[in-house]
Amino acid sequence: MPSPTELVADVIRFVGEILGASSLRFETGPTLVVLGVLLVFLQLVARPVSRWVTSDAGGLASLGRAMALAAEAGTDAVMSLGTAGVARSTDVHGRLQTLAALPVLGHVARAAARSGVPLRVLTNDPLAAAAAAATLDAAHAATSTQERVGRSRIVMVGEGRLAPAGLVMTARARPAAAVAAGSMREEATLHLEGLRGGAGSLAAASAEVAQAPSLLLAGGGALVGAEAFQVAADLRADVGERTMVIAANRLIGFAVAAIVIGTALALMGIIHPADLLLGIGEA
Amino acid sequence: MKRATIPALVVVVGVLVLADLLLVNDSLSELAGVAIDAAILVAAGAALAAVASLAVRRARDLWRRRGDPIGAALVLAGMAAVLIAGLRPGAAGASDPAVGWLVAALLIPIGATLFGLLFVTTLAASRRSLASRSREATVLVGAALVVLLMLLPIGGVVGERLSDAAGWALAVPIGAVFRGMLIGVAILAAVFAARTLLGVGATDE
Repeated sequence: MPSPTELVADVIRFVGEILGASSLRFETGPTLVVLGVLLVFLQLVARPVSRWVTSDAGGLASLGRAMALAAEAGTDAVMSLGTAGVARSTDVHGRLQTLAALPVLGHVARAAARSGVPLRVLTNDPLAAAAAAATLDAAHAATSTQERVGRSRIVMVGEGRLAPAGLVMTARARPAAAVAAGSMREEATLHLEGLRGGAGSLAAASAEVAQAPSLLLAGGGALVGAEAFQVAADLRADVGERTMVIAANRLIGFAVAAIVIGTALALMGIIHPADLLLGIGEA
Repeated sequence: MKRATIPALVVVVGVLVLADLLLVNDSLSELAGVAIDAAILVAAGAALAAVASLAVRRARDLWRRRGDPIGAALVLAGMAAVLIAGLRPGAAGASDPAVGWLVAALLIPIGATLFGLLFVTTLAASRRSLASRSREATVLVGAALVVLLMLLPIGGVVGERLSDAAGWALAVPIGAVFRGMLIGVAILAAVFAARTLLGVGATDE
């Protein structure tokens, strides 16, 4: 039986043999650049809550008012998860947008649960439907309103990108608020027009750059391009949190302005920072 | 424990694939290949499970007369038609002429019919956005009108200059904005995907 020392020595020898049998695929510079990019990327990944954004992303902060109106009118709210789904045979970018829509669904579902408004979730993918059901359950659990979960429903509209667009264009129900988040390609205008036609308010999010005009023309809140992925980090920015971020941003702005102005004055020879700091030249 | 296992697996596989990208090593290449093949198999299994789940759900709707029975019947009939066309004895699978006919004669025309509404719905959306005095929509419609003018089939020197201007607008300002947005989307998509895989996210409200 080998001793721990021999085991460690064998492992080090094995790793050394692997390293000895390897060579760099790129030059040293490009390899360091790749590792540097990875470092910055991991820094971004490790900070899930947005620090700098203070605006109301896509008008989602006004969902509470829309839900209050829905509760008064006795109508429901609709959330569409786009048309890419999770397991459909479409590109990864589109399916990733469906996953990015789930935090938005959670936000909408919590607002609906608090107001007692039934929520209809439209999807064309069974796995997305399962994920949406789990998100709805979690939202009702978070707001202690499990008794209301039965009023909300997931509508599985069938396979294909055009099926949801056709459904929303022919639906008779008029929700108080409609939110569409996820991949919407050429059918984006049809989809959003169908939702817009009956809904009291509309918010749309899609990372399809070519469909940005569809989102802007639909009216209401729009999360265009990268904002569709960024919104998950901004959803928690409530009023108090946002006020603190605004104050902090202003302080940082003043500090940067002071540095820039001071540097310019020092370069022009008007002030001498060392003298100012040491108090030299004062009476 | 469950939350820690999946991120650990993601980190291990991610480091493996990254090492394979940076280093030339046969053993590493084989290991990375196995990981990628396993991911493809899992995705294929999930897709099959999703289709089966859809069929079961729609069959249950039809059996219990709930939801939309006509829609459920149409979905099941469509699935059966494609399965019979592609899997019947002697069929060539997805490349079978019967499957091709179903796609070319039914699915594509139905899709084209809906896409035919795009022109009408886009005009309606533009009109409504202008009526609501939306600033973004006004800029958008104004730019669309300018591009439309530049692309008019006018002959002579004027037409040539308008055509050149349209090409320049497409290549320089529009192309620059488009590429900038694509780069932003790619960065945020990668960050979001990594956060999802590693289970890093904001806690519930």
